[in-house]
Amino acid sequence: MGGAAAYPVALDGGWRLALVTLEAVGKTFRGRTGSWEAVRDFTLDLAEGEFTCLLGTSGCGKTTVLNLLAGFEAPTTGRILLDGIPVRGPGAERGVVFQGHDSLYDWLSALDNIGFGLRLRGVPKRERRARAGHFLAMVGLEGQGAKHPAELSGGMKQRIQIARALAADPRILLMDEPFGALDAMTRATLQGELTRIWAETRKTVLFITHDIEEAVALSTRVAVMTRGPGGTLKAVIPVDLPFPRDRTSDGFMAVFRQVHALIHAEIVAPPARAEIDA
Amino acid sequence: MNRDGATTLLGYLAGFALLFLVWHLAAVLLVRSTLFPPPWPVLERGWVLLEDGLLQESVLASLRRILQGFLLGSAIGIPAGLAIGSFRWVRLLLEPWTEFFRFIPAVAMITVSVIWFGIGEESKVFLIAYTTVFVIIIATAAGVGAVTPDKIRAAQCLGASRTQVFALVALPATVPFILTGMRLAMANSFVTIVAAELVASNDGLGKMLWDARLFMQIEDIFVALVTLGLLGFATDRAFRLLIRAFAGRYNPTM
Repeated sequence: MGGAAAYPVALDGGWRLALVTLEAVGKTFRGRTGSWEAVRDFTLDLAEGEFTCLLGTSGCGKTTVLNLLAGFEAPTTGRILLDGIPVRGPGAERGVVFQGHDSLYDWLSALDNIGFGLRLRGVPKRERRARAGHFLAMVGLEGQGAKHPAELSGGMKQRIQIARALAADPRILLMDEPFGALDAMTRATLQGELTRIWAETRKTVLFITHDIEEAVALSTRVAVMTRGPGGTLKAVIPVDLPFPRDRTSDGFMAVFRQVHALIHAEIVAPPARAEIDA
Repeated sequence: MNRDGATTLLGYLAGFALLFLVWHLAAVLLVRSTLFPPPWPVLERGWVLLEDGLLQESVLASLRRILQGFLLGSAIGIPAGLAIGSFRWVRLLLEPWTEFFRFIPAVAMITVSVIWFGIGEESKVFLIAYTTVFVIIIATAAGVGAVTPDKIRAAQCLGASRTQVFALVALPATVPFILTGMRLAMANSFVTIVAAELVASNDGLGKMLWDARLFMQIEDIFVALVTLGLLGFATDRAFRLLIRAFAGRYNPTM
């Protein structure tokens, strides 16, 4: 890493213009077996430069929120604004890092995968290679650019995905449990790398996860969702701790406990009022 | 790669040597009939036919027909398969065609094609194209369907237009499927060309087989059979190499 990296400090309570606004967003899927509510009345602002983790139990609708923001799905109710403009369909200003590494192009080298977004814009090959090389180095894969996805490990593929999304220079980076399928050691390494990359690029990030420790380690605030179906925002917990995070510090533990209590209440479903009375 | 190539070559040579050995033993020890010659006289006969230029002539005649029909079939099959895989209404419209003709083998079409096109080149090219086109359509359409949604979404959120998604994602992702379809179609072509030339032709390997049968030149029959086997083997290896260049990196079983 070298030198003291300038990690941004989470601004808490300060007035900042929202980059992304989700306003009372709801999504109901209609299938053959009837309709099914994935997200209900979800409202959240994402400020420029902020790293938000969206945390929730499995099936709470957190990935649906990301898909709506990415433009892969259209909300049934409410609206999503980016820079005050409603989101319609996917676009280059919202980069996505997918959970699986299925999204990489097997027939392209790592470098060409990273430069794919630049190729779409007609950036000349030489410049494309140079810029892709910059992001390849940023994700710690210098010298691995000629390799194809099949020759890379799971962790390396996720690094390539992150580099590919960043190379297109999006306004916001949407990450859908990108480290979910990795082993614990690789995951911890990549979490550290992501913190460093975020500090370097100052990108606005929305990071989906169900891992409390991951959420507290990475983000400037954790948005907790209620359990599904039809999950909604339960609470937003600011994580006002210095980067890189010390996971054994008292401050970390305190936030962890706070978030854990919120999530735990969603896992252990409180019995319905009627059952208690009966 | 080089050591790998050498191992492959050695393995193949040993395999062929074993094949010829088994053939020799079967002919000399088991069958012992003039109707089943051992490999050596067949190879000798093949050499004579090569020196006379007759074998090359037959091979070239057959290969030319295969190539023409195969290219025609691919030129129709690949775009049709891409359209079927990409658009639901095209699939609904063309599926009856593919599913109907797929079950009428090219061999069954020989009579019609000779009546329509005569015994010249056109009937052979038609039959090869016919046997090629449906296999390629089905393989290509399946390939388009197998492109994972995340690959397309990734391109969309990097700013790809519909055309770019098709040309830069769907098409290259489908190439291994197209090549596999072409490989299967090529095997079909060998079956079909021999059958067509047996029935009606002035030259080619099928004609050579037929003539040899008429004149009881048993070695000539075997020369034609061995040639067909070797040609098929060579073209199939060529396709496998091509597929590997596109797909082998992520599918080592290809």
